[in-house]
Amino acid sequence: MGTPGRSDDHEWSQQHLSHYVEGELGPPARRRLDRHALGCVECGRGLRAMRALVYAAQGLDGLAGVRAPATIFDRVRLAAAGGSPTPPNA
Amino acid sequence: MPSPAGQRAPGSPGTPDPPGAPGPPGTETSLIARAQAGDVGAFERLSGAYADRLFMLLLRLLGDRGEAEDVAQEVMLRAWRGITRFRGQSSYFTWLYRIAVNEANRALEKRARRPVSAPIGADELQLPAPPADDPARQAENSELRRALGRALAGLPPALRTAIVLRDVEGLSTQQAAEIVGVSQAAFKSRLHQARLRVRAAIGDETLVTTGG
Repeated sequence: MGTPGRSDDHEWSQQHLSHYVEGELGPPARRRLDRHALGCVECGRGLRAMRALVYAAQGLDGLAGVRAPATIFDRVRLAAAGGSPTPPNA
Repeated sequence: MPSPAGQRAPGSPGTPDPPGAPGPPGTETSLIARAQAGDVGAFERLSGAYADRLFMLLLRLLGDRGEAEDVAQEVMLRAWRGITRFRGQSSYFTWLYRIAVNEANRALEKRARRPVSAPIGADELQLPAPPADDPARQAENSELRRALGRALAGLPPALRTAIVLRDVEGLSTQQAAEIVGVSQAAFKSRLHQARLRVRAAIGDETLVTTGG
């Protein structure tokens, strides 16, 4: 207590950084976190880090060079060839 | 305990199909009907539209290419065997993904029971780098991807699944929660925990300087 930028809002802000980035906080809650993060180095950095994390994870998306193996339906074909004309649980 | 494939359709009506759905509107419905009647070719066309994406998901969750290939075959077999129980309460994609997540979890449980379990391969959780003009930036991105891969590999399966479905795959919270089979609130809680752990593993400084 008494440290500039720290308040009762600190723990609450730390717990809601993910929700903030997710866009799940209502306007009053967003304002509360914004206000706190402006004066709190740790929460300000935490918010930037959380944004960077989500951005980086989104950057992992893509299918370049990765294809399903050609064998992916082998067991299905085997089951269909040896079984009834309809799927087993029909 | 994962529910068996096809035990219940894991979603609500009206979930839009992701890119990759096999053909114009109606095509998927027709393929489902034919597959349910025993047309294996229709099943392959239906499920094949999502095969690459599904395999990528398994690779991310399992971190081992050989195991992902084995589980991918099992997922398709379970989907084929359960196709007659698919009622269209969710999209086919959601239904198929749920089978994949359940099978991946089953494989991870088996792995955990082995005396010496092989660590998940962090390298497998990474993906090809997006093109970047600036070599320095490219190096930073590459470093961050490696760190992210390691951090994801270190997460418990439920948390890894949450972050992979929501952040990497870009599914909506509703769709991801349906696939995992939990409420949206429970899914958000998992996602939050997962992000906190990944943040802690990578470090805010690294995230801000290399990913900002």
